[in-house]
Amino acid sequence: MIHLCLFLAMAAQQPAAEVVQHMQAGISAEKQSRHDAAIAEFRQAAQLQPDLTAAYVDLGMVYMGQHDYAEAIPPLKRAVGLDPGIAAAQEMLGYALLSQGYAAEAVPHLQTAGNQGMLGLAELQTGDLVNAIVHLQASLAQHPNDPELLSALARAAGVLSRETKDTLLETHPESGQAHQAVAADYQALQKNTDAETEYRKALAIQPDLPGAHLELGEMYQASQQWQKAEEEYRAEAILKPGSAEAAYRLGNSLLQNGKVPAAVTELRRADALQPDMPETLFALGKAESLDGKPLDAEKDWKRLLNLEKDTDLAEKTHFALAGLYRKLGKAANAEQEMKAFQQIKAQRKD
Amino acid sequence: MVRFLLAALVTTGAALSIFEVRTPHGIDFVQQNSPTSSKYLIETMGGGVALFDYNNDGRLDVLLVNSGSLAPSMQLPAGFRRSLPQYWNRLYRQEADGTFTDVTRAAGLAHAGDNNYGMGVAIGDYDNDGYEDIYITNYGKNSLLHNNRDGTFTDVTGKAGVAGGGWSASAGFFDYDNDGHLDLFVTRYLQWSPAESKVCGGEYHTYCTPGTFPATSNILYHNNGDGTFTDVSQASGIAAKPGRSLGVAFNDYDGDGFQDIFVANDGMEEFLFHNNGNGTFTERAQEAGVALTDDGSPYAGMGVDFRDYDNDGKPDILVTNLAKQIYALYHNDGDGSFSYRSLQTGLATLSAGSSGWGVGLVDFDNDGWKDMVVAQSHVMDNVEMINPAMHYKEPPLFALNHQGRFERADSGTAAPVAGRGAAFGDLNHDGSIDVVMSVLGAAPEVFYNRGNRSHWLTLTMAGTRSNRDGIGARVVVNGQTQTVTTAGSYLSASDKRVHFGLGDAAQASVEVFWPSGVHQVLKDVSADQFLTVEEPRRP
Repeated sequence: MIHLCLFLAMAAQQPAAEVVQHMQAGISAEKQSRHDAAIAEFRQAAQLQPDLTAAYVDLGMVYMGQHDYAEAIPPLKRAVGLDPGIAAAQEMLGYALLSQGYAAEAVPHLQTAGNQGMLGLAELQTGDLVNAIVHLQASLAQHPNDPELLSALARAAGVLSRETKDTLLETHPESGQAHQAVAADYQALQKNTDAETEYRKALAIQPDLPGAHLELGEMYQASQQWQKAEEEYRAEAILKPGSAEAAYRLGNSLLQNGKVPAAVTELRRADALQPDMPETLFALGKAESLDGKPLDAEKDWKRLLNLEKDTDLAEKTHFALAGLYRKLGKAANAEQEMKAFQQIKAQRKD
Repeated sequence: MVRFLLAALVTTGAALSIFEVRTPHGIDFVQQNSPTSSKYLIETMGGGVALFDYNNDGRLDVLLVNSGSLAPSMQLPAGFRRSLPQYWNRLYRQEADGTFTDVTRAAGLAHAGDNNYGMGVAIGDYDNDGYEDIYITNYGKNSLLHNNRDGTFTDVTGKAGVAGGGWSASAGFFDYDNDGHLDLFVTRYLQWSPAESKVCGGEYHTYCTPGTFPATSNILYHNNGDGTFTDVSQASGIAAKPGRSLGVAFNDYDGDGFQDIFVANDGMEEFLFHNNGNGTFTERAQEAGVALTDDGSPYAGMGVDFRDYDNDGKPDILVTNLAKQIYALYHNDGDGSFSYRSLQTGLATLSAGSSGWGVGLVDFDNDGWKDMVVAQSHVMDNVEMINPAMHYKEPPLFALNHQGRFERADSGTAAPVAGRGAAFGDLNHDGSIDVVMSVLGAAPEVFYNRGNRSHWLTLTMAGTRSNRDGIGARVVVNGQTQTVTTAGSYLSASDKRVHFGLGDAAQASVEVFWPSGVHQVLKDVSADQFLTVEEPRRP
């Protein structure tokens, strides 16, 4: 495609026959992987007709193929100088510049070329994090799970988060939000005592600070302090009665703490707020089963299995159902569920 | 001064712990586990302890199984150095004044651990001579030490044929065929040797998980009644289920009159060997609902107790494990299956962040409900580096049983230690159960129960047709049920006497269902006494 474009551009410039010969020889040599010969032919053509865009593009392309980005840059610059409309030349130049560390210089070329992923990478390097995230996400939509894009997006989001926190701490050091941000940092470093202190300071300043109780509860949960977790989730659920997550987490902590009827109530509330959440359904079924409501448990676990087929949660649910059926005297159903449990377990092990 | 302190306690409302934790005079033992940079898994697993009356003077004595000497990069044959006194197992005789005397050398036990790395202990009168014998488990060869009835022991392992081999952990005496002779079950942990040892955890340099090494089989020895045993592991079906076994406890979960076996496995399904009554066993953990947690997850089973925590007359199962796993409590539903009750009983909240080893369901406050003590510590001595929320050393867990729900209580010590084995018995003869807990790298902790005003009854079972210890006898007192055993916990053996808290009841009715099939009833038994119950002899 690029050669066709270049051929048309070259035809428009009406080069001399000798120039055409060198160009054709260069293309032929490149096809045969005789890179040095190709380079020599394209250079001859450019010397004979210095405004021949195609010669510079082809020359740049040979260097790009050789990963010799430093050598590719001058002819590609010349090419886009002569004809800014050749997108491939813009893209190659942007890539070559980015590869050599000239990210800022690469940005306009990548913008012109419309390569969102490469542009995002260049913007990440220049510190233009907001645009980097936008362009990397757009590119990821086209190329899901691309490792380079995912890694760059993670870095961009991390750096932006850190910078935003720095700004917050500089401008509002004694705000609840600042203490909450510091607490989250401590938590990431597994310094739970320091994190707890900061969360408490945050909540003392702003008792209804969004997310603070939830985060603190999650920290307690991670360190298996379920009673403290329950208190925090309860506070969050009171602040946000419409939050399914707060309701689920409170319900689950109630269950862990052996407060089974209360857990059933809260988990049913979570289910009503946001139906078909697998984690909620699993915990709800468990709570109902312990609360002597096996038919309700069966119904909710079946709902879960309609949503999840071969996940960890599905595996656990089949096992739980097997136990429930055994207690109900439904041996055949129990056996069927055990088979499903073992099947998923074996699949997941592989 | 004392009066002032008591007054201060009363006015501040501070409550004394039920336990006073101290090392009694005369016990100078330190558990020498010899941790190395090679991270040999054995070095974090030892710590057997036994409470038994070896000289029949009416006072409980203490046996502590030492570990041994290790060095980095050991080669086979390992040749664990045990000749130095610091590495000996120790037997402490309790004197009339409550102090202890080290009688290890005099009892002939000074070199009982030579060339082996010590693990656990089982106690039982295997030859029905009225004196308790000792079985020591090791990494290496195990030892059966016959009580000579004169304060000394003789190593009869070779003659008895119970040396085992490999890595043995918990063991226990029980009479699986009700023939009146105590048989022996020995758990084995892994196929492991110093030469095959590995270091795991990358930069953290930790002990490897059990799954790193192959599983191995447990051993069942049948007592032939003539001082010898026969290895019936294959014939009984026990060997058909390789495990990574650490704990064992016995009880008759289905009421068929034969003792069943629960084996705590580390990192895989637990085992419940149902006694078929014909010398064979069938592993039924999965169908009984005790193989995994309620959502199908395996856990690191270590210690186990097999007793009725909710006074419904049926033995339940409690298994200790690692932090984040929750100690597993299985309620016996009476239909041959169990329900996972860790959440409803409050155990999840109590244990979610802790790792447990030795464990006992024992009525410490004599209110008629079995409470719980767990020796705690993580298996990894550097676990804080990996997760600061977890701890290698932990204080023990003491929880009171409030009609089936457990609530944390003051154990008398908040000091974190590397607890391992735990044995239970009334050390000072005051009607309240005490605890001896082994601690890696340190002296054992002894929890003296201060007691209270509640009534109690402690029974010594004397079998005549059944085995002499009465092991396996089901005893029902005022609606509570206990089965006579010295096994359970982790690597440890507890007092064979059965203890009942009676609360306000000054009298008790006692029913005994002996392994021989004899049913014995004692009415209007006065509380607050130690009573020997002899099995009716053949007419």
